Amino acid sequence: MTARSLQSGAPARERAATPSTWSRIWQNDAPGYLFLLPWLIGFIGLTVGPMVTSLYLSFTDFDLLTSPDWVGADNYIRMFTNDAKFWTSMRVTMFFVIFSVPLKLAFALAVAMLLNRGIRGLPLYRALFYLPSLLGASVAIAILWRQIFAGDGLVNKLLLLVGIEGPSWISNPQYSLWTLIVLSIWQFGSPMIIFLAGLRQIPTDMYEAASLDGASKWRQFVKITLPLLTPVVFFNAIIQTIEAFKSFTPAFIISGGTGNPINSTLFYTLYLYQEAFAFFRMGYASALAWVLLAVVGVFTAFSFFTSKYWVHYDE
Amino acid sequence: MSDVPAKLTVVTGKGSPGRSRLTSLLIHLGLLAASVVMLYPLLWLLAASFRPENEIFTSASILPSVWSIDSYIRGWNGLRTSFGVFFTNSFIISGLSVIGNVMACSMAAYAFARLDFRFKNFWFAMMLLTLMLPYQVTLIPQYVLFRQLGWVNTFLPLVVPKFLAADGFFIFLMVQFFRGLPKELDEAAQMDGCSPWRIYWKIIIPLSMPVLATAAIFTFIWTWDDFFGPLIYLSEMKSYTVMLGLRTFTDSTGESDYGGLFAMSVLSLVPIFLFFLFFQRLLIEGIATTGMKR
Repeated sequence: MTARSLQSGAPARERAATPSTWSRIWQNDAPGYLFLLPWLIGFIGLTVGPMVTSLYLSFTDFDLLTSPDWVGADNYIRMFTNDAKFWTSMRVTMFFVIFSVPLKLAFALAVAMLLNRGIRGLPLYRALFYLPSLLGASVAIAILWRQIFAGDGLVNKLLLLVGIEGPSWISNPQYSLWTLIVLSIWQFGSPMIIFLAGLRQIPTDMYEAASLDGASKWRQFVKITLPLLTPVVFFNAIIQTIEAFKSFTPAFIISGGTGNPINSTLFYTLYLYQEAFAFFRMGYASALAWVLLAVVGVFTAFSFFTSKYWVHYDE
Repeated sequence: MSDVPAKLTVVTGKGSPGRSRLTSLLIHLGLLAASVVMLYPLLWLLAASFRPENEIFTSASILPSVWSIDSYIRGWNGLRTSFGVFFTNSFIISGLSVIGNVMACSMAAYAFARLDFRFKNFWFAMMLLTLMLPYQVTLIPQYVLFRQLGWVNTFLPLVVPKFLAADGFFIFLMVQFFRGLPKELDEAAQMDGCSPWRIYWKIIIPLSMPVLATAAIFTFIWTWDDFFGPLIYLSEMKSYTVMLGLRTFTDSTGESDYGGLFAMSVLSLVPIFLFFLFFQRLLIEGIATTGMKR
């Protein structure tokens, strides 16, 4: 019945167009919008609305208790000209992103390459390497890390076995950020799984043809694997970079919320948290958030723009 | 032509004899060594939680000389409020989040994958954009909003967004899956006069158990692990989650009672580890097909 009315629907609809436009909209669009309703409410109430408000607040002084005072671009001006902590936190975050993401992806790809050769016990290895990435975001792991890299921690105990007396990694500003980078690399499991899925897409006959032509393994990797894998590399890089920019918990737990020693682990997110929820400078924190959005946005746009020069897409 | 590559696959795939067997042995050794290095900290944590207090820092080995559950008993009541309360809170928040997320995200995904409506592509693009949005940009106004609603120190700010499909990642995950279901099923049902709601409830949902389970498990784990949300919204100890409990432990007694801290840390990882143990394949497939971040 419905089928017939669908087939012969066109002329009938035209005839009835003017009087019942609303009922047609109701029939065609309502189900979709009803199913979308929870998301739409959330999108408008928890994303768009707050974004607009946050942009407004970034031009104000706001301490949560009294109403916001418009101060123009003061927050932004202060940030760029008169706030050493802002620059420190930006530098710390950039350092973290620039070192943790490529190293993590390199590990992920290297292990995925090893696992991709039809190796026996693949499911076991894959599971073992994945476990840290599943557990890693937990506060418990940050606590563990703080212990491992403490002066009398596990790492130094093991180093002592080979006669090396290690420093207190956590409380030495030279190394403290590196402990967080190591923690991030330790969680290479999920990009590894994505690489494995990508590697499986590469047709094996390409390698066969290449080895018939006498191409070495390395040459096959550079000329076949890497180019064909660039979409996956690109995808992983974007996801991991955004995650790295947002990283908060490990730095918070390991430094006890301070970003110390001497602000060496003061992630941008941590600084923003302090401004907002320790000092209640909500206007300034909103401005910090918008600068973060701008940085992440510029980075993403730049990646997409340059991707056409190095990411290889079929067809 | 089709014969030759097939034979070659056998040769290259299973390893040419001699050199290749050695190579594969070396690879296994390397992978095993890497696994040990990666898992050593976790095993050490587990062992430390069962060690008598005085032995925790004297040994780097992963086997305690005496097994003791003292740390668990001390840690459980190490704070003013017992960890039992924190675990209960975490389970309530994570459980409600799972229900909300699976419902709201599957509804949105069904709309995107199967229904036609005006501006659908626009909304879909918006949804994808929110995936890239750092949460800090909406954080403060959301906090102000929830505070005005009187929701601070309740679970609502942590749970209600899940009922509004706030994590677009799961919508995306489900859209991918729904699109793979044969469209003939809904069309047949539609001809029989089924409403979209019935198609969603009677056809799509029952056929989508794998993806719904994946979404449920990831929602549970991410909510369980969440530290930032509880940190800003929950300030009374009786409403703390496990993660907040651990953090308080490190601040107050952690310096003196590492055993208790480690024991509670291990306990906090148990639910996640159980999911890993029993649903690994779902988790790994979920990541492989959509590129989950963790």
